[in-house]
Amino acid sequence: MHIPDGFVSVPVAAATTVASIAGLGIALGRSNDAFGVRRAPVLGLTTAFIFAAQMVNFPVAGGTSGHLLGGVLAAVVLGSPWAGAICSAVVLIIQAVLFADGGITALGANIFNIGFVGVWVGWLLFQTLHRLFGGSKSRLPLAAGIAAAVSVPVAAIFAAIELAISGTANFGVILPAMAGVHILIGVGEGLITGGVLTYLIAARPDLLPGNDEKQIRSWVVPVVSILLVAGLLSLFASGWPDGLEKVAEDTGFIDLAEQVRIPVPTPFADYAFNGNEGIGTSIAGILGSIVCFGVAWGIAQVAKPKNA
Amino acid sequence: MHKLSLTLKLQLSLIIVIGAAFLKLNAWHYLGAYGIIALCWAISLRVPVRKLTGLLGLELVFLSFLALPLGWERASFLLVRSLVCLLTMNSFLLTLPPHSFGIALKGLPLPRPLKETLLLAGQYLEILLGEVTQMQRSAKLRGLNGTTGWIRYANASMIGALYLRSLDRAERVYAAMIARGYNGMLPVDSTPRIKERFALLAMGFLACSLTTASYQLLF
Repeated sequence: MHIPDGFVSVPVAAATTVASIAGLGIALGRSNDAFGVRRAPVLGLTTAFIFAAQMVNFPVAGGTSGHLLGGVLAAVVLGSPWAGAICSAVVLIIQAVLFADGGITALGANIFNIGFVGVWVGWLLFQTLHRLFGGSKSRLPLAAGIAAAVSVPVAAIFAAIELAISGTANFGVILPAMAGVHILIGVGEGLITGGVLTYLIAARPDLLPGNDEKQIRSWVVPVVSILLVAGLLSLFASGWPDGLEKVAEDTGFIDLAEQVRIPVPTPFADYAFNGNEGIGTSIAGILGSIVCFGVAWGIAQVAKPKNA
Repeated sequence: MHKLSLTLKLQLSLIIVIGAAFLKLNAWHYLGAYGIIALCWAISLRVPVRKLTGLLGLELVFLSFLALPLGWERASFLLVRSLVCLLTMNSFLLTLPPHSFGIALKGLPLPRPLKETLLLAGQYLEILLGEVTQMQRSAKLRGLNGTTGWIRYANASMIGALYLRSLDRAERVYAAMIARGYNGMLPVDSTPRIKERFALLAMGFLACSLTTASYQLLF
């Protein structure tokens, strides 16, 4: 998923670089605890470990191969998505500068996709699933494995969007291609993450977060659940017409709707994204949920009593 | 050239690499200029040729898999540019005295925690590779050699065991560093001399001119 030089346009590279620098600034400030005497070796070793693990590619169907991204694993071991993002960013900097793996001009995009989108999506999902599974240490690898598996295609979707905006590839072609390959890579990521954490819990339980649920914020579970339903379950939604449409089709008055339909220039028509069904439905679902949340939150802010 | 400080060597290497990376696509003449600079850099550092060519070959084979599907014209430029970058950085890394990457890092304008993470990651990579070699040897002695052995070797328990073994050693190394007065930064004077500042400015100006000119030529 490392985007090489020449793949992203200057505006996309500049925007993602600014976002990544800002994110890294916050991450460095927020993960002060990770630089203490106790945690520094864990942070350094985890970074080296992810770097080494990314050099080992495993075969994926269709003649392609993938490797561990490791951001979610790092975040879980270090107990902080900010520290996980730093680990991923440092690995990407080393790879780009020393080994020409991933472009220097695309470094911002790569840090944004792998270090922030991948790690944060995985972390929020991990927190939610861990709580849903009861919050016990024994279920932690399962939650982290699923979260890691989902984080890979999500990061790949962001990479596909950046490449499409840059004009490198057609959106309708690159989105399903990137998502499809990275779903398979995500399975490998999930299995390795879950397996490593299972071993670490058995051998060094003190390294991992405990059975407490304090770090899970109250808003994370509902928000991530909504995004899961809109983004993941919507992929399996039935394509058949709803009750009214079926009756209209059967009784022959469905054409009446077509006669008065005013074409609205929306990229999300019929819950697809730019006419792209499947993964486009997922994106349309997530964006729709965010818009609904924003509107409802805005109305609540206006309508609530001043002393509330 | 051996009298140059490690920090300056790293800074000069990074200027060449970043300048080449930002070149306009298909600006072959300017890439050629960077190639000559990189070659001069490698010769002046007296890099061991056999080691360098082995490393470059390995890295280029890996990069070819990524670049070749893009079409020959684009891939050839990307590969030659990568070769220039790899030649520059490998020349620096292969002539670096052992355990001195941290000293070179000190002069970079990066936040301290980021430099510390880079330093520790670099050091622990050696530990990790040492542990991998030991575990490979143990696996071989237990009859786990061949492809099947590697599949077993790559299972999650082995990866977890590798992580923990390396962590134990990393914690011991870090404790020793703390005991010797390490406080997150190596006690090295990184204030550049006037000559070094001039060399840095000159290389920066040259790289900036070449890269900017590559865009003007093609517009």
